[in-house]
Amino acid sequence: MADVTYREALRRALDEELDRDRDVFLMGEEIGKFEGSYKVTAGLWQKYGAERVRETPISEEGFVGAGIGAAMMGLRPVVEIMTINFILVAMDQVVNHAAKIRYMFGGTVGVPLVIRTPGGAGAQLTAQHSQSLEAWFAGCPGLKVVAPSNPADAYGMLKTAIRDDDPVLFCENLVLYNVTGTMPENGDFTVPIGVADVAKEGDDLTIVAHSYTVQRALRVADRLGQDGISVEVIDLRSLRPLDVDTVVESVRKTNRVLVAEEGWSTFGVGAELAARIQKACFDDLDAPVERVGAAEVPMPYSKPLELAALPLESKIEAAARSLLRECGL
Amino acid sequence: MPRLSDTMEEGRIGRWLKREGDSFREGDVIAEIETDKATMEFQAYDDGTVLRIIVDDGETAALGAPIAIVGEAGEEVADAPAEKEPAAAAEPEPEPATSGSDPNVAAAPPAPAPQGNGKAEVLRVSPIARRMADTAGLDLRSLAGKGSGPDGRIVKADVERALGTAEQAPEKPAPVEPPATGPAVSAPAEGDEVRELSPMLKAVARRMTESKTTVPHFYVSSEIDMTRALQLRKELNEALADSGEKVSVNDLIVRASAQALVQHPQAHRSYVDGTHVYHAHAHVGIAVALDDGLIVPVLRDADTKSLRQIAVEARDLAERARAGKLRQREIEGGTFTVSNMGMLGVSAFAAIINPPESTILAVSATIQRPVVRDGAVAVGDIMSVTLSCDHRACSGADGARLLQTVKRHLEAPTLLLA
Repeated sequence: MADVTYREALRRALDEELDRDRDVFLMGEEIGKFEGSYKVTAGLWQKYGAERVRETPISEEGFVGAGIGAAMMGLRPVVEIMTINFILVAMDQVVNHAAKIRYMFGGTVGVPLVIRTPGGAGAQLTAQHSQSLEAWFAGCPGLKVVAPSNPADAYGMLKTAIRDDDPVLFCENLVLYNVTGTMPENGDFTVPIGVADVAKEGDDLTIVAHSYTVQRALRVADRLGQDGISVEVIDLRSLRPLDVDTVVESVRKTNRVLVAEEGWSTFGVGAELAARIQKACFDDLDAPVERVGAAEVPMPYSKPLELAALPLESKIEAAARSLLRECGL
Repeated sequence: MPRLSDTMEEGRIGRWLKREGDSFREGDVIAEIETDKATMEFQAYDDGTVLRIIVDDGETAALGAPIAIVGEAGEEVADAPAEKEPAAAAEPEPEPATSGSDPNVAAAPPAPAPQGNGKAEVLRVSPIARRMADTAGLDLRSLAGKGSGPDGRIVKADVERALGTAEQAPEKPAPVEPPATGPAVSAPAEGDEVRELSPMLKAVARRMTESKTTVPHFYVSSEIDMTRALQLRKELNEALADSGEKVSVNDLIVRASAQALVQHPQAHRSYVDGTHVYHAHAHVGIAVALDDGLIVPVLRDADTKSLRQIAVEARDLAERARAGKLRQREIEGGTFTVSNMGMLGVSAFAAIINPPESTILAVSATIQRPVVRDGAVAVGDIMSVTLSCDHRACSGADGARLLQTVKRHLEAPTLLLA
């Protein structure tokens, strides 16, 4: 076990998969010599050459489409979209093609494509570059959507995604790239898609989160723990398929649940989970399901306003305390 | 079934005064309903016609359950509500948002009872709290509106408290129904008959268990020489003979008690949630035995009323108590109770306090006995009394002083006329 950054964990997974399987190749803007905007592909262009680490024009629709075609023909492309905000111009490729080809071809052709892309906010990148849109894709049958929260899961899930025979949207997070964590040295370490993780056990309240918000939730849990409140943190890891069972099991234990996410709450991950939870464990709830998400505005540029719009720890903590107060705790 | 008393959980239809097909006007009494405390008149909220009676004379229904369907004369009634099911399914309302459209179920509007002054608390319970209560057999209705959650929602923590710390919270005991039979009794023996308790008897069972298990009782007894009081009563009754009014021994005791209570504020206060509530006026409950059960009408402001007024009011209350005609407000708000079993010849007994009152006076028979008066043995009319006190509200000395004053006023009864 050694401490690595989330960024390095991803790089290592890409490196090992490129090395393991000659069908794996990378595509994206400035991922070669420049090593990618967030340096996730550092050293790979030098190591594997321009044919397997392919630079693309600034044309997401084009290179996502190219990735889909390559995948249909049997390769295993890993396409980097610089941030999830830019995937919008490739929406038709993702939703109408990658997600539907296996179905529309009667199961004869799959699309073993991985799209890696970071979301998140907090660096004053303003309205168009600060979004967390993963919930939009998680609502689309035919796609798998994952959003690991720590280096080990990033490593293990990227490997699983690359080896998966269907399209996987692999959501990273700008703030997570520098987060460090332990990671097994074992190159065969993988993490299954569709299995949530109990990141911290507790009895009084469940906080469900994914991606960077898990880190926030863990810090909130620590703070509440100092006041004697025992918080369980569920790291969803995958949004589609969604591991409802793990969430339900936790809620049955704690009877109280808060879903936190970096995207907007409306029609978000929390909305979906609230529906699943009330259906599966209505009789276990001590209070309505609580949600914390980004303010329902385009992300402001101004730093104070950006902080006001983000679902910071302080807001998650306040919502948790309010929910617990409703329960007499 | 409307809420006609603060504590009722179900009601029994004494009798319907309007039958199916009868029309009525707003304010008409359409039924008499026996609550846990009294028989109440149920007045119509609106004009209408009784289309169907769901809960018949003598039958019992839970609070909020439909007891009848009313509407326009001749209106068709769907079959569904014939069963005594909760209201929702029975209401063929096209627009769920409106209430009161026809035909509506008599008990459906959550409006407070016409005479009851209790506001209907909605029972808000979190799902897990409800499930825990169900599992534990805990009745949450007494906690309605008092939970820790928003709008008094009862949450898990409240149920845990109710289940776990009943002894530590005497002012809010877990509202568990007392067992109908003593703990040692198991199955009824052959020939025994098991009967459901009337709502009133259930309330008595619950309240007395609550009191005796959570209120720290102590007792102070005294013997009162009633010779002069009986003489006074005789003279008064002779003087009042033409008016038809009559003063009873009990009226003398009520009068003496009321006077004593306002003189001893420390024996005339209630212990409520860690505070003492000092009562400005003596509202004296008078226990009235019924064929099976008892009821305690309250003679209000007894400290400000003359003996004669007390006599008239007490007689009226007792008569209506036996007839089941007391109004809710006449059986509430007592600050003291007199329980008199003198007419049954008992020589001594002690009574259970009726919370939140803090004292109750148990009065036994007045018996002729030799007494020493001015150094000589004489025949005295001796009445034995025992005052039960809540030690959280008053000390032994407080209780003794109260009793001493009662005794002084009865033994020097001109004070009763003061």
